Amino acid sequence: MGPVSRIPVSRILGYRLFQALLVAVTVGLLTFVMVRSLPGDMAYRIAAGRYGYDMVSSDAANAVRAELGLGGGGAAALALWFLDLFRLDFGESVISGRPVLEEIRHQLGHTVGLSVAAILLSVLLGPPLGIAAGLRPGGALDRGLLVAASMLRALPHFVVGLILIMLVSAGLGILPAAGHGGTENLVLPALTLALGLGAVSARVARDAMVQVAASPYYAFGRVKGLSEARVFLRHGLRNVSVPVVTYLGVQFVGLIEGVVVVESLFAWPGIGHALVHAIFSRDVPVIQGTALVMGMMFVLLNAAVDLACLWLDPRKQAS
Amino acid sequence: MNALLVAEDVAVFSGERLVQPTTLSLLPGRPLTILGESGSGKSLLAQAIMGTLPRGLRAEGVATIDGRRLPLSSGAGHRPLWGRILGLLPQEPWLALDPTMGARAQVAEGYRHVRGLDARDARRRAQADLDSLGLAMAGSKLPSELSGGMAQRVAFAAARAGGARILIADEPTKGLDVMRRDDVAALLMREVGEGAGLLTITHDLALARRLGGEVAVMLDGVIVERGPTEKVLTNPGHEYTRRLIAADPAVWSGRPGAPAAGAAVLEAARLGKTRGGHRLFADRDFSIARGEIVGITGPSGSGKSTFGDVLLGLIEPDVGFVRRAAGIAPVRYQKIYQDPPSAFPPRVTLRRAIDDLVRRHGLDAGRIAPLLDRLRLSAALLDRRPSEVSGGELQRLALLRVLLLDPAFLFADEPTSRLDLITQQEIVELLAEVARERDCAVLLVSHDTELVEKVCHRRIRLGEEAPG
Repeated sequence: MGPVSRIPVSRILGYRLFQALLVAVTVGLLTFVMVRSLPGDMAYRIAAGRYGYDMVSSDAANAVRAELGLGGGGAAALALWFLDLFRLDFGESVISGRPVLEEIRHQLGHTVGLSVAAILLSVLLGPPLGIAAGLRPGGALDRGLLVAASMLRALPHFVVGLILIMLVSAGLGILPAAGHGGTENLVLPALTLALGLGAVSARVARDAMVQVAASPYYAFGRVKGLSEARVFLRHGLRNVSVPVVTYLGVQFVGLIEGVVVVESLFAWPGIGHALVHAIFSRDVPVIQGTALVMGMMFVLLNAAVDLACLWLDPRKQAS
Repeated sequence: MNALLVAEDVAVFSGERLVQPTTLSLLPGRPLTILGESGSGKSLLAQAIMGTLPRGLRAEGVATIDGRRLPLSSGAGHRPLWGRILGLLPQEPWLALDPTMGARAQVAEGYRHVRGLDARDARRRAQADLDSLGLAMAGSKLPSELSGGMAQRVAFAAARAGGARILIADEPTKGLDVMRRDDVAALLMREVGEGAGLLTITHDLALARRLGGEVAVMLDGVIVERGPTEKVLTNPGHEYTRRLIAADPAVWSGRPGAPAAGAAVLEAARLGKTRGGHRLFADRDFSIARGEIVGITGPSGSGKSTFGDVLLGLIEPDVGFVRRAAGIAPVRYQKIYQDPPSAFPPRVTLRRAIDDLVRRHGLDAGRIAPLLDRLRLSAALLDRRPSEVSGGELQRLALLRVLLLDPAFLFADEPTSRLDLITQQEIVELLAEVARERDCAVLLVSHDTELVEKVCHRRIRLGEEAPG
C-alpha cells in the first residue's frame, strides 16, 4: 500500500467541513420551523415539561410564554440561535434550565458507546457471512442469508427490538430488557441495531464477493499457482472491502435513525432518547442541539469512511 | 526429444460435443499454434488441457503433463501444476491484473507463494523480471496506470514467476496493434528459446507466422489441417485454411479508386485534446466528403477513438472547432462501436431494440427486411437477445441499426477488432460497399495498418512518435 498522498486527504476533509456547515444551517432552520408548526400550544407543552401535566394551568403557560418571549416573532429567536452557535453556545434547556451542551455531552457518550458497539457487531456479523455466501453463490448459506437478510431488513427496529426482548429477556431470562449500567444492558440494543445494519452489509459483501470471484484477475491468481486461501487474501479481500466500506457510509443514516427508536425502546439514556423527550415538551434548544450533534456525527462518520476507502483503495491515492 | 505435454483424445461437451477428440503433443523449443475463428473450439481445447474449463462444460481424454497422467473427465488434479509447471498467459491482460495491486507485487507473489522464496528475494526477482521487460519504472504502478502493452508484459512476468515451463497463451494479441503484437511474439519466442513449451491459441495469422513451429487449424471443433507452420500457411491443403489466409488484410485486393468528388459533410480546424496530462493530438485540420472513407491508425492510447468522438461531438475538444454541413439532421451523424455486445441492451430481443429505434425516430419499418437481406442476416436472428448471436452477426445488426437512420457520416471505431479474420473481411467489405451505395462518409479507426491501406481512400496517422 503506497503512502497516502496529502491532496486527496485535504480535499476530503475540506468537502466534509463544507458539508458540516450546510448541515448546521439546515438542521437549525428545519428544527425551528418544524417545532413551531407542530400542533398544540407550545407554552402549554413546555410548562407541562417543567411542572408535570397535572400541574399545568393557563397561568403557568402564560408565565412560560412571557419568560421565553414565545409570543414574539420566530425570526429573531432563530437569528439569536445562529449567533450563539457561532460562539459554540447552544443555549439552555427551557425545561431543566441547564446548558444544552452539558446535557448533550452527557448523553452523547452513551449514544456513541451504543453506536460503536452496534457498528462493530454489524461488521463482525454482516460482511463475513456475506463473503462466505458469495464464495459459494446458490449454496445453502447463500439462500439462508438471503431470507434472513430480507426479513431483518423488512422489519422496523422497534419490532426487531421487541422480538429480541421477548425471546432473550422474557423467554430465556438471560439479559435485561431495558436500562443502563453494565455491558449486559448494552447487548440487546446494540444487537437490534446491528441486525438491521448487518442484514444489508451482508448482501453488499455477498454481491461484491460474487463479482470479484468471477473476475479474470481472480481466475488469473489461481492459475498463477496461488492456493484458494491465498487468492482470497491477496486478490479478494481488498477488492471486496472497497464497496463494502463505501456502503457503510450510506448505512450511517439508518444507524442514526435507528438510535432514536432503539434508545427509547430500551430506555437507553442517549441523545436519541433525549431528542424524543425534547420533542414531546417542545424544548427547542435541546432539539436543535441534539439534531445538530447527530448531523455532525453523520458527517464525521462519513469522513472516516472516505479516509478508510482512500487507505484501502490505491486507485484513489493515485488520482 | 521428450514431449512436455501430451494430450490424447481430448474432447469437450456441453450436452453436445463441442470439440471432437483431438490428440496433440508439445515439445520443448517447438511452439504449437492452434489457429481458428471464435467459436471453433480452440480455446475450449486449451482450457480442457489446462483444467480451466468453465462450469457446465465437461472434458474427456487424458493429458500427460510433466510425467503425470491426468484423466480430464474428473476435472481435478491440475491445480498443483498451475504456476509451477503450467503457466497461462491470459486474454486481455488489463482485466487479468488485480486493479488494486501494484505491478511488482503481482509478479512477486509467484516467487514468494509459489516458489517459496522469502519476501525480499521475491521482490528482487520480480523487479529483475520487470527490468528485463523494459518496465523498470513500472513496479509500483497500478494496472490502470499501465498501457495495454505494459499490462501485457506484466501479466507475462506474473504468469511465469512460479517457474512454469509450459506456457499456454490464449489469444495473446487480441486487440493489440501491430507493434505490440510483434512484442508479444518476441516475448513468447524468448521463452521458447530457453526450452519452454508453448501452446498458443489465436486467430492471428501474423502471430502464427512469427512463432513458427507447428500449426493446427481448427474449424467447428475439429483440427482440419496441421503441420509445420511455414508449409501450412504458404501451401494450405484444406479449403478452410485457404479461406482464412485469403481473409488476411495483407492479401486483400488493392485500395479503392478515388471517391466521386462530393461536398464535405464535416470539417474541423486546429483540433487539440489532452487527456490525463498526455497530449493526444494538436493543431489537426480535418475534412471528409460524401462517400469518402478515411482511416485513422496509430498505436493503442494514441487518441484515435478520441479523435473520432471529438468529430462526432461526443467529446469537447480543448481547442479548435468542428463544423457539420448545413441541412443534415443531427441524427445522421452516427457511430459503430468496437464491442457490439455492449452497444445493445442486453435483456431485450434485437427486434425490440430495433423497433424502439424505428418508433423513436418515426422511421419506415418496411426498410428493415431489405436491409437484413443486404447485410446477409436472417430475420430469425431478431427474436434473439444480443448474447445469443455471434459477434459478427451482432456487428452487422449494429450496422443495420445505423443504416436505418440513413447516416451522412459514420464513425466506425475499431469495428472488427473483436472479430475473427473471415468475419472481419465480411464486415469491412459490407461497410465499404454500403458507404459507396449511400454516399456516406466513413471514418474508420483501426490498429491494423494493412486493413486501412486496403479499404480507405486516405489515412491519418496519430501519435506515431509516442510510445504505447
